[in-house]
Order: sequence, then structure tokens, then C-alpha cells
Amino acid sequence: MSELITDAKLRQLAAEWISAGKRTIGPVVVKDRSLYMPLQSAEGLLLNAKVRPSNSIKEFFFPKAETLYNYRVEGRSIELVEPPLPEEQIIIGTRPCDAASLPILDHVFNWDFADDFFNRRRAATTIVTIACCEADDACFCTSVGLSPSDERGSDAILLSLGNGVYEVRFITEKGQQLFAGSTETSTETGHAIEGPERKFDPAKIRAFVTEHFEDPFWDEHGRTCMGCGACAFSCPTCHCFDIIDAGPAAGSARVRTWDTCQSAQFTQHTSGHNPRSSQPSRQRQRILHKFSIYPEKFGAILCTGCGNCVRNCPVGLGVLNVLTEI
Amino acid sequence: MSETTQFEPKIVAYVCNWCTYLGADLAGTTRLEYPSNLRIVRLPCTGRIDFNLIIKGFEVGADAILVSGCHPGDCHYTSGNYHARRRWILFRELLDLLGFDLDRIHFAWISAAEGKKFAQIVTEVTEKTRKMGPYTELYAAGPTRALLPEAAHTDSPLKVFSGQDELRAEARKLLTEGAVKVVIGNGTRGPVLVTRPEDADKLVWNNHCTANLAMYLKRKEVKALGRPALVVKACDERALVVLEKESQFDRKDIHVIGMACEGMNVPKCAVCVLRTPRFADQVIGQVENSVPVSASTPNKLDTLMQLSRSERMAYWVQEFDRCTRCYACRQVCPLCYCERCLVDKNRPIVIDPAPSIKGNFAWQITRAFHLAGRCIGCGACANACPEGIDLSLLNMQLAKAAKEHFDGYQAGIDVSAELLIGSFAKQDKEEFIK
Repeated sequence: MSELITDAKLRQLAAEWISAGKRTIGPVVVKDRSLYMPLQSAEGLLLNAKVRPSNSIKEFFFPKAETLYNYRVEGRSIELVEPPLPEEQIIIGTRPCDAASLPILDHVFNWDFADDFFNRRRAATTIVTIACCEADDACFCTSVGLSPSDERGSDAILLSLGNGVYEVRFITEKGQQLFAGSTETSTETGHAIEGPERKFDPAKIRAFVTEHFEDPFWDEHGRTCMGCGACAFSCPTCHCFDIIDAGPAAGSARVRTWDTCQSAQFTQHTSGHNPRSSQPSRQRQRILHKFSIYPEKFGAILCTGCGNCVRNCPVGLGVLNVLTEI
Repeated sequence: MSETTQFEPKIVAYVCNWCTYLGADLAGTTRLEYPSNLRIVRLPCTGRIDFNLIIKGFEVGADAILVSGCHPGDCHYTSGNYHARRRWILFRELLDLLGFDLDRIHFAWISAAEGKKFAQIVTEVTEKTRKMGPYTELYAAGPTRALLPEAAHTDSPLKVFSGQDELRAEARKLLTEGAVKVVIGNGTRGPVLVTRPEDADKLVWNNHCTANLAMYLKRKEVKALGRPALVVKACDERALVVLEKESQFDRKDIHVIGMACEGMNVPKCAVCVLRTPRFADQVIGQVENSVPVSASTPNKLDTLMQLSRSERMAYWVQEFDRCTRCYACRQVCPLCYCERCLVDKNRPIVIDPAPSIKGNFAWQITRAFHLAGRCIGCGACANACPEGIDLSLLNMQLAKAAKEHFDGYQAGIDVSAELLIGSFAKQDKEEFIK
């Protein structure tokens, strides 16, 4: 037995969430691509896109600018002002490769310190995933142990029956509550594609990167990198950040912003010394963190195979294209 | 008392130390009355008044800005005010595109002897601003979605151009002879740096070779390889002209392989008149059937400029709101080569490094304006943006302004022309200056 919902009903639900004041997020068309954005109306919601959004959902848990606190200076006293608590939010049309990043990020944000900012947002969010019906050349979820219908991190998952009808599988109670009374019981089931072919073996990658720290391979494959953060900032799992003090002009706040190991400044010492002085060494770091450092610490791979780094790289690099050369 | 008369505008004045500041002093000592709404910031010269300060002024809540310095010919540093005037001609056009209210930005020449003019200008500016009310339009969002219809994205099927074999052979020869250490060219997935003759077949020449490879000339890792051969199209070559004029390299230190280009099915190719590189050490291939020059290309810039000022600003608020500060736009720009970008400087912080709306405006204005009169329109910034922000519109507006106001100036076209920013002419227009 399965639970079905029509596209129209799904949009009606989304419209209800929006009008109830719940922050509802989903993929929308922006120019030549799609992006996860807070929805103004349910009509814009894009569920059948061929290619996944070119940003990731991490932005809604780990915002690109998170105010840690505001402060007020009066005379000699300083008053700290707590930022408002996050509002309830629903992300609909999440790709499995985005949802799967959440359990991965949970480890990082609860490792030796429980990050309230991340955890509060996590608790306030319901994730409705949509299984993929198409994969492009950049997709490689199957190579990192995921699939186009992976349920990790989701509260509910939609699988298309192809005629504007979706099967809804409830994964958590939160997911079930969201759809309560909106689905119809049926015997039909939805489906996803098998997935892109496996493009590399993560165990081999891990062995290579741990044994070839110093290797001409990195120079050869890393020097076309221009050192921007397009890969890291659109990656569902990259989570490095910087903390900056924005002065009175910017609202007197301490703000956490995204940072990337691909920028030379990331490891720049005050003395001027930079332990990762060349772009290839920064490329190596990114691969190493994803396929060796994180797995060693937490047992999983810091990559969900979404392919955003490949699609967004202005010079055609990205994790996949480096790894397939190994 | 009505509400409008209660509003006291805040006006920030950036003034030159030698003329206007003394003019203000004179106004005071001669007991001239003028409104107290002005906050004066004294700087050495109008030439030293960075455009970032204008943005900063608005950021902290100014309702209007006044910039003032010595009359032309009176500059205590000979030509600072001429340089300022030229930059302002372009800067105003950029602010106009972004939807800033130009009626809130004032420029005046006030000498040390013109205490009376100082008092008069301050009174005028204050009265005008008081009438306009507080600057609430700044960075205000609004309904703009779908104001600018986007052309549907079409993938063009791969088409190999003639000259690919010749390019490979030439690269192999140059590397074998040791004439160059690396060939910077296009590969199947993106740019490739070929250092071994046997890898020359990695080079391709087809309608997907849109990247401007001149961006690699600034990279430390590429410089370390030794003398490069750079594969360029005629449009890319314009970057070399600018870079050489800016002393970024010595032309004899690089080998340039020019590729005759039919066009790549991207919008800029529809209006390209260059096609064949002009300054390359060698040109490979011939233009057989070039993409026809179309006069009726839908011009997004014009469409945007037809919107109202507040709609324009709302458009950019919507666009810049997505900016994550990945800096892909800066990294891929062949002409963004500063060793340490202004936005990366933190002692003091000049531009808010957080992707706030104020910070993103300040950053994108800086990026665009640092390319004023220099941008060659390759469009790499817009292509690189993962958030799909059409950054090249900012640069196109500046390029258009340069063309209009400075006798058809186009960066990287005329090798004998002086750099637009860094030079000046006594007859530069100044109808916006009081």
C-alpha cells in the first residue's frame, strides 16, 4: 500500500503553508538555472527540473551570514542582544543529495561543541525530498554510496508516478504530520531512476589521497583552479566558516559567514606565512577533507555526489573531474 | 508644524583640504549663515575621494552627499580634481543603473575664497534634500521579478572549428623547441595548461571555447611554469592590450597564438566585429562563415534602464541578495589582478565582508567600478556566477558610458589610446558640477 498526492494538491498544500506564515522553501527558476529560494507563491515551485538547483539547502541551516549576536555600546557598558530564534520552515522539492548532507553536517556541528544556531534551525525544519527522475553528466551520487531515492535526512520523500502524481513515503513523524489528510491510499508506487553510473571508488580515492600527499598529480590537476568559492559555497556539505565583527555601520553584530579552503586567505598567517601557498595544495585539501579527513573522524564521506562543484566551476574542474583522473 | 518641515536631512560632505575646507572656514569667519545639517569629512584632494566613501556615506544614513574641491586648474596636486571629474562622469552612470538617486549626490568646485558659494551650496543642498525627504529608497526591495524576460538557454551542439589540428601542431612545436614552457589553451572540459609536447592533443578549438584564458596570466602557479603561449580569440586579446598598458607583463615575455573565430553562439558574438586577432605572434585558421552581426540583439541593459529608478534598485536588491561572496566573478576576471583585493582587507574593513545587502552592493560596486574604462566585456564574471547574477550589466553600463562620454573609447581596442582612468582631458564634461 502507498500514499499518493497529486501535483495540484501538493501545490495547494504549499500555498497553505505559505499563507500560514511558514517559511516555505523550494526550487524556482532563476535565469538559466534553478535555485532553492523562499517561495512567495506555490506556482513558482519547480518540481520536475532536469538538473538540480545550483545552490544547496545548507543555506537554510547554516546561513551565508548568521548573526551570532548584536551588541549595543552605551557609554562604558556593552549590552549583548540575542538574535531572534529561527522560524519554522519547510523545504519542499529537496534533492536526495541535499537532504543527505544534513546527517553529515550534524556530526560537524555537534562534535566537540553543540552549535545551537545550526541545531535550532534543524529542529525547526521539515524536509520533503523529491526522488530524481533524471541525472546529468555531473551527477555522481551512486559513487559515494547514495542513490536518486535516498531517504537520509528527509522527513518525507516524493516519488513520481509520471502523470503529475507522486507517491509520498513518510520517514519521520514530522513528515507524516505535514501531509496528514492530504494523501490517498493506493496500490501504485512511484519510482526513481537507477542513478548515474558509478564513476569512481571512494575507497580507492581515500587510499590514493592519504598515500600521495606530495604528488605531481596535484600540480597537474589543481593549477587551472582560479581559487574562487563557487564549488564550496554551492556544496551541500562544505561547512567552513569565518567570524567577522561588523561595526556600527553594519548594525553592530558578530556574524558568521561562509569561508572556503580554496581562497589563499583561508590559511594565511598573521606573519605572512601561508602553509597552503599554492592553488594545487588548496585543491588537494578540499579532496582530502572530503574523502579522507572527514571519513577518518566520522566514518562517512563529506560528499553527496550532487555535482554542483562540477556544474558551477568556471574552469571545468570540480571534485568529480579531479577524482576521475586518479 | 507639519512633518515635512520637521525632517532634518543628514548630509555628508567630502571636501578637499586646500580649497573647499578653507572655503568653509571662510564662511564661518565671515559669519555667513548656513544650515547645520552638514557633516564635513576633510580629505587631501577630490582625486583622493574614493567612490567607496559615497556608498559608505549612504550606508551610515546620509540623505545626501556633497563632494567638493578646487576649481579645475587650481589643484594643489596639479591634476587631482581632473582625475576626480573623469571618474565621476563614469561613476554616476554606474549609480544610475543601480537605481541610486543622483539628485542626492552633489559635486561642486569651491575655492578657498568662495565662502559665500560654500554657504549657498550647503543651503541649496539642504533645502533640496529636505524637500525630497529621507532616503528610504536606498536598497529597498520591491516587486521586480519577471520585469526582465530572460532569453531561454540553449545548448549549442559541439562544432569543431578549422585550425584545431594546426593549433595542436603549433603547441607541440613550441613546447618541443622549448620556445615556451606552457601552452594555456582550451580542453574538452575547460582550460588546460599543456606543459609536455605529447599532451598537445588535449587542446581543442571549437564553439565551446568561450573562456578568456588571459585570466591565467595573473596566476602565481602559472607564472612559475615559465614563458607561456596563450591561446586567444580576438575579443580575449583586448585584455592583453589593457594588461600590457597597465604594465602587468612585457609583451615579449609571452607568446600569443591567435585563433580566427567564427563566433561561439553567446550573445556577445552577435555584435562582435573583431573575429581575427590583431596582435598575436601568429594567427591560426580563417573565418569562414562568421555568425552574422545582428543589430536587433535584445539589449537587457536598455530594458533595465527603461525601468524606474526604484524598480532598478529593487532589481539589484533581488539579484545581490543571492550573492554569496564566492568571488568567482573576481577570480575569473583577466583584469582583476590585485594581489590583495580591497574586500579582503580587514585593517580597517572597507567593505562589509558578510554577504549582507549593504555589503553586497558595496562589493559589486567596487568590483564593477575598478573595471571602469578597463573591462573588455568578455562576460566571464556573469558566466562564472553560480547564483546567475548578470554582473556583466554593470560593466556594460560603464563601457557604454566610456564610449559615449569619451569619443567612442573602448578598452583594449586602440593600442595607441591612453588608459581612460589614469588620464584626463581639460575639456572633460562637467555639467553635473556646480
